[in-house]
Amino acid sequence: MTILTRLEQWQEQGILSREQQLFLAGLTRGEPYSLFLELNILLYAGILLFITGLGWTVSTWSQQLGDVMVIVVLSAIFAACLWYCFSRAPAWSPTEVASPSLVFDYILYLGSLVWAVELAYLQKRFPLLSEQSDLFFLVSAALFFSLAYRFDNRLVLSLALSSLAGYCGLTISHWPSHQDSTYRQSGIIYSVLISAAGLALQRRAVKPHFLGTYLNIAANILFWAVLSGVFNRENYFPWLLALLAACGACLAWGILQRQFSFVAYAAVYGYVGVSYLLLRTLHDETAVLSYFVVTGVAMLAMLIMTARRFGREA
Amino acid sequence: MRAYSADNEEALRARTLLKDWAGEGFLTGAQYRHMDQDTTCELRRTNIFLRMVLFLFTLLIVGAVVGLLLQSQPGTQASGFLMLFFAAVCYAGAEFAVSKGHLYRYGVEEALLACSVGFLCFGISGVFFRDGDRVLNLVVPLAGSFLSLWIWHRFGLFYALVAAMVFVVWLPRYWTASPGAQHLIAAAIFAAGLRTVMTIRSRNCVEYLNEKYSIAEAFLWLGIYLAINLELSQWNVLTHGWSDTRNISQFAPTIYWGTWVAIWCLPPVTLWRGLNRKDRFVIAAGAIAILLTLVTNNLYLGWPRHSWDPMLMGALLVAIALFIQRWLKGGAEGIRSGFTGRRLSGKDKQWMNAGSTAFSVLSQPGTTMATEHPKSQFGGGESGGGGASSDF
Repeated sequence: MTILTRLEQWQEQGILSREQQLFLAGLTRGEPYSLFLELNILLYAGILLFITGLGWTVSTWSQQLGDVMVIVVLSAIFAACLWYCFSRAPAWSPTEVASPSLVFDYILYLGSLVWAVELAYLQKRFPLLSEQSDLFFLVSAALFFSLAYRFDNRLVLSLALSSLAGYCGLTISHWPSHQDSTYRQSGIIYSVLISAAGLALQRRAVKPHFLGTYLNIAANILFWAVLSGVFNRENYFPWLLALLAACGACLAWGILQRQFSFVAYAAVYGYVGVSYLLLRTLHDETAVLSYFVVTGVAMLAMLIMTARRFGREA
Repeated sequence: MRAYSADNEEALRARTLLKDWAGEGFLTGAQYRHMDQDTTCELRRTNIFLRMVLFLFTLLIVGAVVGLLLQSQPGTQASGFLMLFFAAVCYAGAEFAVSKGHLYRYGVEEALLACSVGFLCFGISGVFFRDGDRVLNLVVPLAGSFLSLWIWHRFGLFYALVAAMVFVVWLPRYWTASPGAQHLIAAAIFAAGLRTVMTIRSRNCVEYLNEKYSIAEAFLWLGIYLAINLELSQWNVLTHGWSDTRNISQFAPTIYWGTWVAIWCLPPVTLWRGLNRKDRFVIAAGAIAILLTLVTNNLYLGWPRHSWDPMLMGALLVAIALFIQRWLKGGAEGIRSGFTGRRLSGKDKQWMNAGSTAFSVLSQPGTTMATEHPKSQFGGGESGGGGASSDF
């Protein structure tokens, strides 16, 4: 039975009004057809391309354009974006607020990215400022957090969290050469900090819909940090315990909140960490492959049980 | 022929739509609960995250089992036979999981099907492969494409069609050495496929299959485009790696300039068809093709690339989006020619939220500033990056 037939039946049974049935049947047939997603993707891609070109142009032509020109132009774009957002934004509310227009969120995002380009330019051109990169990260994070919460913008929130990660010393470029306790410590502190902040803000009902962004980032960084400890040749046992604790917490959170990305994190990161420890002393190929068969089946059975019990909805 | 009954697929579609409408406030809670009870189906689904993890672990298990058994089969031919046997076992396992376990997009059956295609190809190579035997080499992609097409048809997995298209790309290499002819043959095969899909779509009005054919059509349009855009093929990651060097001499001038005309003609046709049919996937294929044409046009003509090109392109995209939005707003109730800029589905918002969250996760902790990357200069997402944390 097609959905259109079902809608007619529900209308005849009195479950739906005639207007509702006609409206929903129209939606099913794509009448009207919404271009909302396409327009958003166009705007997002447009802003990213624009900022890429801007950064490229500034870096290529900075000598010819001169520092003053570059800084004035970038500041002007940033100021114009902020002016646009402040002049058109609705009053602040702690709950989720719809954008006043389609382009609003992307103008704010553009302004934030231009700010990032400008700071990077200043650091590049003025070596004295480059010594203050931590301060720049912190200032940027503060600015982006303020803008994200003022205008209810997840994209800018992600920039804020990235900048804060930079302030905590977390950079991918450092990861391979800095797998030391300091770096790991930074990762854990950062994860705990942003999880606590996200949860506290959610409890106070300040933009509670941002919590998912905080926790997804925190979980990934926490697992990376803990796993790097597990991969140590020495003193790995406390990290193994930490990994198991993190997996347990993540699994419980995922199941309780029905956020199955966390179940997936717990399963994958936990399996990688434990398998690494168990397999690093094994050199027999048959034993290794047998391990994967046995543990793989066990994981599969456990995940199917979890999926059947908690994760049916697609 | 299809693994799932029409009733079940219709019920699944109805459930998905009801959930979406309830989320958007088009249905009350009571209405949703009542209607949801009327759309029960026996298929077992799971959410996307568990589906991906189940897929990974199934791949791991199958790979390990095959590895264990291959240890005792030193000969290439014996290994080939074993692979063919495993291809059959995996396929049978997937059929069993669907028919008895009622799994639907569950990860497990998908991994088994993916393994069956891989094992079939490796198995045929192992059993029949001899150095320099071009005919037998043709059999591998042919078998891979047929099995992938069958899986797409029977199980409705869109990526099986993509796999079939990738196999098809390898076929012309065994018929001709001319790169230009290879591109044209691949495009011709995709065009034949597109014609078939369009014919099926025009005759078959079954709603639940529409999305499947819509995705297929979009990929085939895109496949034709990618096959005829010779400048894109010169960046072929699989065969040549990313290279900026142009080598147009391998193509006859007629073919080269003919494809240049074609890459300007095909995207508008695709876009027009998508808009005409109000088909999201075909619209996306047309839009992607237009973007790729704009990106590769300078390369085709041998014109230099400028640092401000991305800026202009970005400004153009924003301008197009704003123009369309204004045009739509001008209509009665924000609707013009059957289109609206308003959000009518919760899925759109879910996609955007998921995109921004995924993007946040991927860009963490990719925050670097110029001081940490002396060569990378600045911009493009440094200091937060917004996902564009790479150099340019």
